[in-house]
Amino acid sequence: MSDKAYQDSKPNGPVAAAFVAAGIGCLVLGLLVILNTANIVTGATLDFAKNYGIGSGVGPLSGKVILSTIAFLATWGVLGFLWRGKEVNFGRAFALALIFVALGFAFTFPPIFDLVKPK
Amino acid sequence: MELTNRESWALIHGMVLGALFLLAFGGGMAGLYSLRERYLTVEGVTERTPRLLIGTIVMAVVAWLAVIVGTWVVYPWYRAVPPAGTTDFTTFPKSLLLASPGTADWHNFAMEWKEHVAWFAPFLATAVAFAVAYYGVQLVRRGDVRRAAIVFFVLAFAAAGVAGLFGALITKAAPVV
Repeated sequence: MSDKAYQDSKPNGPVAAAFVAAGIGCLVLGLLVILNTANIVTGATLDFAKNYGIGSGVGPLSGKVILSTIAFLATWGVLGFLWRGKEVNFGRAFALALIFVALGFAFTFPPIFDLVKPK
Repeated sequence: MELTNRESWALIHGMVLGALFLLAFGGGMAGLYSLRERYLTVEGVTERTPRLLIGTIVMAVVAWLAVIVGTWVVYPWYRAVPPAGTTDFTTFPKSLLLASPGTADWHNFAMEWKEHVAWFAPFLATAVAFAVAYYGVQLVRRGDVRRAAIVFFVLAFAAAGVAGLFGALITKAAPVV
């Protein structure tokens, strides 16, 4: 390894984008669980396996994970483009990502999403 | 002694891919934690970084494979709806669990949490792998990114741990056969 390679540091924008995008993926999955449980977004709508022939018998979980994966990749792409070559406030970006992940964990926890289940 | 096709896939999902992810966590964690300038010479960083890169990429790939196989191969067998009039739910694990109040929470709590939270692991592990790939040897000088990667690594492990633990317990109560 050359000293230059060791000393140089790349701008952190692309990495911050990846961390925030991962948080968004978790948050979107959690939100879809809440919306599906509350019947705001129906299981039939989220059944991508049946609606679009992506697998067989997976049910609403297929839509939830496909949409959250798209959210993860799209956010990464957009933020990665906006923050390419830039040094951003990494602490703030990571804090935001952690909040998104924490909300995702909370929204996928059954005792919490059961609160919005229609009576 | 033989395994059915369904048992083989459940084994690949849980005991091969899932267990590999959880076991590899220790190595990856040790690599990230010890990647500090005061612990390592320049030669030490050069020697360790490719191993850390391979380890984190493998973990991310394994996490994606585990959730894809779990969701698209094993899960449909778990949630299959038995034909009307069925009384033997042995080959319908979800129905078997819900048939008894004593086992219903294995689905209502354990499976409902596991099937969703497992998907956090590939998102988080991919971000960690990208950080290691992007910075390479320079990661040793980016304490903020390295610490963030450790936190995401632990969260990915926690998500996979919840999924793995409940997966094993649900399989014990109502195996996919």
